[in-house]
Amino acid sequence: MRSTLAIATRELASMFRLPVGWVVIALFLVLTGAVFVFGALVPGQPATLRPVFGTTTLLMVFVAPAVSMRLLSEEARLGTLELLSSSPVTSWQIVLGKYLGAMAFLLLMLAPTLLQAGVLMLASDPRPDLGPILAGYLSLILVGGLCLALGTLASTLTESQTLAFLGTLLTLVCWLLLTNVAPQHVGPKFGAILARASFSARIDDFARGAIDSRNIVFFLSISIGLLVASATALELRRWR
Amino acid sequence: MIEVSNLHRWFGSVHAVRGVDFTIPQGQIVGLLGPNGAGKTTTLRLLTGILRPQSGSIRIAGTDALARPTASRRAIGYLPESAPSYPEMSVRGFLRYRSKILPISPRDRIMSIEKVLGLCRLSDVARRRIGQLSKGYRQRVALAASLLHDPPVLILDEPTNGLDPTQVRDARSLIADLARNRTVIVSSHILPEIERTCGRLIIIGAGRVLADGTPEELRRTRTSNACIVQCRAEPDRVLPIITRLGYKAEVEPIESGWFRLRVRGSDPAEARARIGAALTEASIAIRELRDEVVGLEELFVSVLESAEVPEP
Repeated sequence: MRSTLAIATRELASMFRLPVGWVVIALFLVLTGAVFVFGALVPGQPATLRPVFGTTTLLMVFVAPAVSMRLLSEEARLGTLELLSSSPVTSWQIVLGKYLGAMAFLLLMLAPTLLQAGVLMLASDPRPDLGPILAGYLSLILVGGLCLALGTLASTLTESQTLAFLGTLLTLVCWLLLTNVAPQHVGPKFGAILARASFSARIDDFARGAIDSRNIVFFLSISIGLLVASATALELRRWR
Repeated sequence: MIEVSNLHRWFGSVHAVRGVDFTIPQGQIVGLLGPNGAGKTTTLRLLTGILRPQSGSIRIAGTDALARPTASRRAIGYLPESAPSYPEMSVRGFLRYRSKILPISPRDRIMSIEKVLGLCRLSDVARRRIGQLSKGYRQRVALAASLLHDPPVLILDEPTNGLDPTQVRDARSLIADLARNRTVIVSSHILPEIERTCGRLIIIGAGRVLADGTPEELRRTRTSNACIVQCRAEPDRVLPIITRLGYKAEVEPIESGWFRLRVRGSDPAEARARIGAALTEASIAIRELRDEVVGLEELFVSVLESAEVPEP
């Protein structure tokens, strides 16, 4: 665990040592701030962060690949993956450390948006329900976690950060299209199966304030599956 | 300390390592020599667990490296050829990070870091960012990182890459110091460097061990069957004498009146005695008469040329 935490801490610190980390955070906060001001802080409307969560979920599809693209690709490019692979750590510890570092960055990126919730609480009468806000944040963490797990897998498969970014983005966009648009065109039986794999539909449940354990299991199981695949891909490099 | 037996590694259809065998006891510095693509780096990567072999066995400090890879890696300090590190980190930050990954107890970390900073002469740049350092310094940072946990086995792939002559001399003496209680494998293509540092050489070609022994042992098996004579006489006076004795010679002028002859024969010791006697009898001045010493470069080339190197 000590090694995993060391890898996670280094990863998190390196994101703040490089401009890309600050740029990603700045863009994310500007965009979510704009949606909050023009979409949620509207006089006469019910006090809710639902529009912010909706947009932020979509934003996560673009932001998470930018965070995860360098996780293992950069290690391979620098040659430091050789150092890690020859160290007394397992591939699983390396992947988990990298993922936890990226997750910590994501949480730090989300943290300033709590101010929006605070402003809404102060500015609204009646005050908004706390349940949907907490559920909304939980959904963002779960979606972010899933996108980062997919990005981690992509970055174990290529030394190119650009390819890792585009691969993750493309997969997420295809996933959204297949599970949200395709079901209306492929017949009711197959459409229903595809729709069940939609994560945006599950986000709507969270935004309504409904925390369904099936939705949590959905996100967690896919994220864990992707991380196991990443560790396996990293281990397979020893056999290539 | 390192036992390698019948190691094989393919990359697709390329058979990169073909049955490599060697044993290296504690306290020995071994030079791994070979041309580019011979399988040196692949062999080192197999030892460090970065790659897994398709067959064969590896024991590192008594641990089966294939059955217990993580445990065996605890005993290894590895300096990869590219001396990788993180350019955005400070030297001390990088060593602190590595010390948390390597088997070092938290209370010994600071002491270990200070020790390797001193050993590799990095104390002055400890707070500098690695990306701002010269290639030589970065090489030393990577070397320091490999020494942090005081490993019993040290594997150095081209450790003097990018170092200036003074740094090379320092690195050589550091490696010699480190080998006192460790097993060290040094891979390099700089032959004089290897000759000065290592007590034993393993020459690899086309994925096989072609020669293994001390430089002297290898020279003995690769005698040139030639002796060198330096004498003061015109070639048309000396050569008939040499030919009459049944030898062939190549002549090369050195300085005014002096010539260097390389005489080939099946028994260089007898050739020396007979040539010495014949030239003395002919009143020809001799200032050198010795067996030809095979340099490491000639030895290396001769080993590679004499081996049947199959196509990969």
